[in-house]
Amino acid sequence: MPGLYGPMITGDPDDRGLRGNLSLTTITDLLQFLAASAESGAIKILRLPENEEGMIYFGKGEVLSAKSPERCGLESFADMLNWKKGSFNFLPGITPPETDIGLSVQHAILEAIVLQENHTNRFTPHSAPKIEEGSTYMEQEPRESTAVMNDLLEISGIDAVVVVGRDGFVIESAGSSARVNIDELGASLAHAVNGIEEMGSELNVNQYQDMFIEYGRAVIMCKPVGDAIAAIVTPDASKLGIIRHKTKKLFQELGMSF
Amino acid sequence: MTVMRNDVVKALAKVTVQSNEQGLIPEYEVLVNLLPVSLLNTLAERLLAAAPERKTEIEAGLVRAAYECGYHTGCGIITSEIFSDVVMPMVTEEEKDILRGAYAAFTAWGWAKSGIVQLKEGQKLIIRAFDYYEADSKGDGLRAYMLQGLNQAFFELAYAAPYPDGMDTFVCKQTKGIEVGDAYGEFIVTGK
Repeated sequence: MPGLYGPMITGDPDDRGLRGNLSLTTITDLLQFLAASAESGAIKILRLPENEEGMIYFGKGEVLSAKSPERCGLESFADMLNWKKGSFNFLPGITPPETDIGLSVQHAILEAIVLQENHTNRFTPHSAPKIEEGSTYMEQEPRESTAVMNDLLEISGIDAVVVVGRDGFVIESAGSSARVNIDELGASLAHAVNGIEEMGSELNVNQYQDMFIEYGRAVIMCKPVGDAIAAIVTPDASKLGIIRHKTKKLFQELGMSF
Repeated sequence: MTVMRNDVVKALAKVTVQSNEQGLIPEYEVLVNLLPVSLLNTLAERLLAAAPERKTEIEAGLVRAAYECGYHTGCGIITSEIFSDVVMPMVTEEEKDILRGAYAAFTAWGWAKSGIVQLKEGQKLIIRAFDYYEADSKGDGLRAYMLQGLNQAFFELAYAAPYPDGMDTFVCKQTKGIEVGDAYGEFIVTGK
């Protein structure tokens, strides 16, 4: 097995599989790559420094099963998406003992993210950190929204990012999309979100957290950021799972500006 | 439902801009006039050029003039019949929505393409503007005098004591400006 600092992905002459290291790629990227290549098999993951092993089984573009030391199924899959250090080994042709997930790769990633978010919301206190006398804690100055939006644009698949007030005022935008007029998007989004929020209120299901709209030539994903709405424009839904995963923290950061 | 900026702009932009025999336009329950932006900017530039050593006082005077005009004109706007017809049916969040409507009116009338970025009711307001009087003016430093005054006036109309007793409750500071090379003008209104 190559060391931790070995190449990102290498072919192995013995088992024809791929192996690599998690500091240079992520499980979500790897899964999407393998699914796009119509591969079937299992990804064996070794998490370091904990030395924990996990397996993700998939076939025909679906995540079939997942198993890690203390979990199985979607919970295990969600857990493994957060493993940042260690190595992986793709084993082609391996089938799972049972199917306990059975969702397309995109759908499984989305469900895993929702599960993680619910878990985080349940266990993260919302109060500000307590600052004791003599503490070295320093409140960090939030970055300017422009810097955060430029980081969002760096994510593969995102054409444009826009932040819109609840009244449809385009507060800021970055990037460009030949598919969508950004000014008109502002007004349309405000109308749509108002409708969605009224519906949420009528149904008594709390505030909306995400909205995805898939059109023939563009996909728009929106999220509330502070009192405003942030939206990203992407050409299609093929990278939506990974985009949602990678934008999560940046949207939270963006929320501090609005 | 909240105030939809585009709807307000479209409705208010239809208002006939026809001056009377005195050159004044009776609209929004007030009298306004239609003059080129360069007139205001030239006035500011000449005042500053005439007494550069009194720059601080002159700038404060220009902001004050805009503020007093904005306070009284703003009250006329938000209590006008057209505002009641166009904006008020969309108001569900009281003062917050009235402010949204007021900034849509700003835009419709060509005073500034501006809107609310952040609003802490009665405490803080952050405004961004992408086009305003002094955006193309000549001079040094941040100098959006008109919007500084108008932002303070509108926040006071929304959150200070009822008109005409709410003056001088808040203060507006400009933090960014197109005139100094930023992508937009930014203004922060807070308590004095």
